[in-house]
Amino acid sequence: MSPDPVVVTVDQTRCIGSGLCARTAPDALALGPNGRAIPVHPTAAPSHTLTEAAEMCPVEAIAVHHATTGELLAPIW
Amino acid sequence: MTTAAHPEAPDAQPLVPLHCLLHAEPGPPRQAALPTGTPVWVLSRHADVRQALAHPGFGRATLHAPDAPPLTLTPNILDDPASMLNSDGPDHQQIRRTVQRAFTPRAIERWRPWVDGVVRELVDELAASGSPADVVAALTKPLPVRVISRLMELEGLDIDRLGHWSDHALSTTAYTADEIRTAIREFSEFGYQLVVARRENPGEDLVSSLVQAADQTGGVTEEQLTSLTIGLVIAGHETTMTSFGNALVYLLDPQHADAWRRVGEDLSAATAATEQILRTVPLGDRTSAPGLLRRAVADVEIGGVLIPEGAIIACDAGSANHDPAVYPTGPTDLFSPLGAPSLTFGAGPHHCLGAWLARMELELGLHHLARVLPDLRLAAPVEDIAWRTGLLTRSPLRLDVAW
Repeated sequence: MSPDPVVVTVDQTRCIGSGLCARTAPDALALGPNGRAIPVHPTAAPSHTLTEAAEMCPVEAIAVHHATTGELLAPIW
Repeated sequence: MTTAAHPEAPDAQPLVPLHCLLHAEPGPPRQAALPTGTPVWVLSRHADVRQALAHPGFGRATLHAPDAPPLTLTPNILDDPASMLNSDGPDHQQIRRTVQRAFTPRAIERWRPWVDGVVRELVDELAASGSPADVVAALTKPLPVRVISRLMELEGLDIDRLGHWSDHALSTTAYTADEIRTAIREFSEFGYQLVVARRENPGEDLVSSLVQAADQTGGVTEEQLTSLTIGLVIAGHETTMTSFGNALVYLLDPQHADAWRRVGEDLSAATAATEQILRTVPLGDRTSAPGLLRRAVADVEIGGVLIPEGAIIACDAGSANHDPAVYPTGPTDLFSPLGAPSLTFGAGPHHCLGAWLARMELELGLHHLARVLPDLRLAAPVEDIAWRTGLLTRSPLRLDVAW
C-alpha cells in the first residue's frame, strides 16, 4: 500500500524565491515565472526531500499537509 | 563595530538621520554609473527588484570574473570570491543548505529565551547606570556581539580586535586598500584557525555544526568554510547594531513618543514596528553603489527593458521599499502589517541568512528598552549626532539618551 498523498502549498506573499525548495525537491516544487515557488502537482507522495524542502525554506512559506486529514506534516516545530 | 572612531570632518554639514534620506521615485530601470565609472542599470520598483533578485539570469559570481568591470574603489570583504555571497546556482545552494537549517524561523525561535535574557540584562544595567547614558555603548553595540559570540561560542574573544577587523572589512573610504587587505587577511586567519579547532574539538555551537555539515556533505572548500565563518561574525553584529542604532534615532524623535510607549507595553507592537522600521530605515547612504549588485549571465527583460548579458544591475531596495504600488504613501504606520515582504533582507537565493535573528534582536531590544524606560529621549539634538562614516553602513557612533 502506498503512503497517503500530501498537499504542498506555497504562501505566495511570503515566498522570496530563494529556490532552495526547487533544488531540494525538484519533483514537487519549481520556481514560477514570477520568481516564486509553486507546487508542480496538486498532490504528491510524501518524501524525505519534500519534508526537507519545507523545513529548509528561509521564510517558512511552504507547508505540507496530509491530503485527507489536513494534518500539518512539515515543517513541524 | 568601531575601535577607531570615524566621525565626519568637524566643518562638514550635519548628516541627516537615515530615516530622513530621500529615495529615488520608483520607476522603470534607468542607467547610472558606479563610483568607478562602471555603468549600471538601477532597478527601483518593488516588482522589478524582487524579480531580478530571484532571477537565475542574474548572478553574483560573474561580478568577480576576470572580464568584470571595476565595482569598488577599495577592496571589501563582500568581494571575496570564496564567499557564499559570490557563488551562484548549485555551487551556492550546496553551501547555503549547509547553513540554512540553523537559521530557519523555527531554529532561531529556539534562541528567544536566551536572547531575551541578554537584552533584559543589558537594559537593566543601562537603567541602573543613571541618566544620561550612551545607548550605543550600553546596548546596541554589545547586544549583537554577545548573541553571535554565544551562537558561535566565541566567549573570551577580544571584542576590540573583532571590531577592528569588521570595520576594515566593510570599509569604503575609512581605510587604505593595504590596511583593508591586512585586516581581512588577519580576520581570515582567525576564521581558519576557528574552523580547524572546532573540527578537532566539536561543540554544540554554530561553527562546529557548520564544519560537521560541510564535511558530511562534501564539496565545501576550506576557503569557503572560513569565509562563511567570518561572514557570520561580521553579519551577526555589524548590521544589527546599525539597524538598532538608527531605529532609536527614529523612534526617540519626540513625535514618536506615543509609539515608543506602545512598543514597550506590547511585544506584538514591537514586532510590527520592527518590520516597518526595517522597511523604511536603510542601513547606509549607499555611496558605494546605488543598490544590490548583480550581473546578467543572459539577456533578461526586466521592467520593460532588455538587460544584455554581461551588464551590471543595482537593485535599489530602499526605493523599492517605498514603492507606492505596494506600500501606503504618507507617514509610516508603525503598527500596521507589511502586506508584501520588504526587500531589506533581499530576495532570491541570497536572501539574508540572519534575517530572523536580526528581527528577534531588534524587536526584543526595542521592546525591553521602551518597557523599562518609557520616557526615554535623545539627550542632544539630532543634528549633533556623531556618525560612523566611511563604511558600507552608517549608524550613530554614540547616542546619548536621557530619562
